[in-house]
Amino acid sequence: MEYRDYYQIMGVARTATADEIKKSYRRLARKYHPDVSKEKDAEKRFKEVQEAYEVLKDPEKRAAYDQLGSDYKQGQQFRPPPDWGSGFEFRGGPRQGRARAGAPHTEEFEDAEGFSDFFSSLFGQRGFGGGGAGGGNPFGGAGARAARDHHARVDIDLEEAYAGTTRTLELKRPDLKPDGTLDLKTHTVKVTIPAGVTEGQLIRLAGQGEQSTGGGKPGDLYLEVHMKPNRLFQLDGRDVTLTLPITPWESALGATVTVPTLGGGVDMRIPPNSQSGQKLRLRGRGLPGQTPGDQYIQLKIVVPPANTPEAKAVFEDMKQKLNFNPRADLGG
Amino acid sequence: MATPNNVPDARLLGEADWIAVTDVCRLCLIDLTEVVELIELGVVTSRGPTPAEWLVPAASLPRLRIAGRLMRDLGVNVTGAALAVELIESRGDLERQVRRLERLIHG
Repeated sequence: MEYRDYYQIMGVARTATADEIKKSYRRLARKYHPDVSKEKDAEKRFKEVQEAYEVLKDPEKRAAYDQLGSDYKQGQQFRPPPDWGSGFEFRGGPRQGRARAGAPHTEEFEDAEGFSDFFSSLFGQRGFGGGGAGGGNPFGGAGARAARDHHARVDIDLEEAYAGTTRTLELKRPDLKPDGTLDLKTHTVKVTIPAGVTEGQLIRLAGQGEQSTGGGKPGDLYLEVHMKPNRLFQLDGRDVTLTLPITPWESALGATVTVPTLGGGVDMRIPPNSQSGQKLRLRGRGLPGQTPGDQYIQLKIVVPPANTPEAKAVFEDMKQKLNFNPRADLGG
Repeated sequence: MATPNNVPDARLLGEADWIAVTDVCRLCLIDLTEVVELIELGVVTSRGPTPAEWLVPAASLPRLRIAGRLMRDLGVNVTGAALAVELIESRGDLERQVRRLERLIHG
C-alpha cells in the first residue's frame, strides 16, 4: 500500500495546531465537497481530506501517525511497523463492509466511506455515522448503534437508466479466523438496477451493510444513483432534451424526420414555419416511471454553406423573392 | 472471486413511496430535529398529524441527503443547509439551460 502524507494533503505543517488543522479542513472541505465543488476530482480530493482530518483531529491518532516519522513521502510503498499502535488505545484492523463494483461495467464504483487501505491498516474501521448525526462528523455529534448501514454511489448511463441494468458489487467483510485474528473476505452480489432510476435515487440492499457481531440484525447497503452525462440527451428529472439539427427548408415547409429517443428512432412531424430554439414534445419518451418523462426536441436550423454557384443562386433567389428582414424590430 | 449471487431484496425507493421521518434520519444521517426543521423551512413537504409521525416523499430524499452531507461535512446549520440546497438546485437548473443553449449555438 502507499503511504499517505496527511499533513501534505491538509496543506499544513507537521507542527500545525489543532485550530490550524480545523481551519484547513473547513477550507478544503468547502473547496472539494462533491455537492458544491466544480473542481476536477473533487470527490477523490474530498475523501483524502476527510481521511487526513480523521487522523489529525484526533490527538491520539495523530500522535501515533507522527511516530511513523517524517521520512516517508506521499505515495511511497508502506507497511505498518510490527509494533504499530502499541501504547495507544485505538484498535487497528480492517474496516468492515467495504463495497466496490467493477466488471462487467467499466466505471469505478467508489465506497462512499472510502478511506484508503493505508488508513484501514493503521486505524481500522472509521467511526462513521449512520443513525443520526453520527460519528465521523467533524463538527460534533456522535451516535452509537449496533450494525451500521453503508452508503455508496453507483454511476450509470442514461441508456442503462432507461432499460435497467445490473451491477456486481464486491463486499469485503472481516471474518474471525480460528486463531482469533481478522481476515478480510470478499463476496460478490449482483444488483439489479430497475429501469427508470433517476439522479439521487436510493436502492436498498437489505442486510448488506455492516454485519452485527452480536448476532443482531445486519445493516443495509444503500446505493445512491448518479447519472453520467450523455452525448445526445440532457436529463432533467425524468424528462430528456435533444437538440435536433434541421435544414432551413424542413423548418419552413415542415417535414417528417426520424428522431433518436432512448427507446430508438421515432418519426416526428416538424410543423411548417418552425424556428431555431423552438421546442417540440414527444410525450412519454423520457425515462420510464409511474409518471414517465417526456422527450423534448429543441430545433436547431443549420444553414448550408453557399459554396457552389448553384447554392449561391438559391440564396440570391431567396434574397430577391422573400423580402425578409429579421432586423426589422431593431429599426435596421 | 466467488460467483455472484443475486440479492432478491434489492429495492428501489421509488417516487410514490412515503418515508417516515425516523427512516429519513437513518437514510440521510441527520437528527430528527434537523429533519423537522428542514420540513418547517419548506425544503421538503410532509404529511401526518405530528412531527414524529410525519411522512416525507421518497423523491425528496436526494435533497435531504445533500442537506445532511452539508451539515455533517461543512458544519453549516439547518438554515444554511436549506439555503445551500436551494442554491445548488437553482445552479443545476441554470447549468442545464446553459448547456441547452450551447448545443443550440455551437452544436
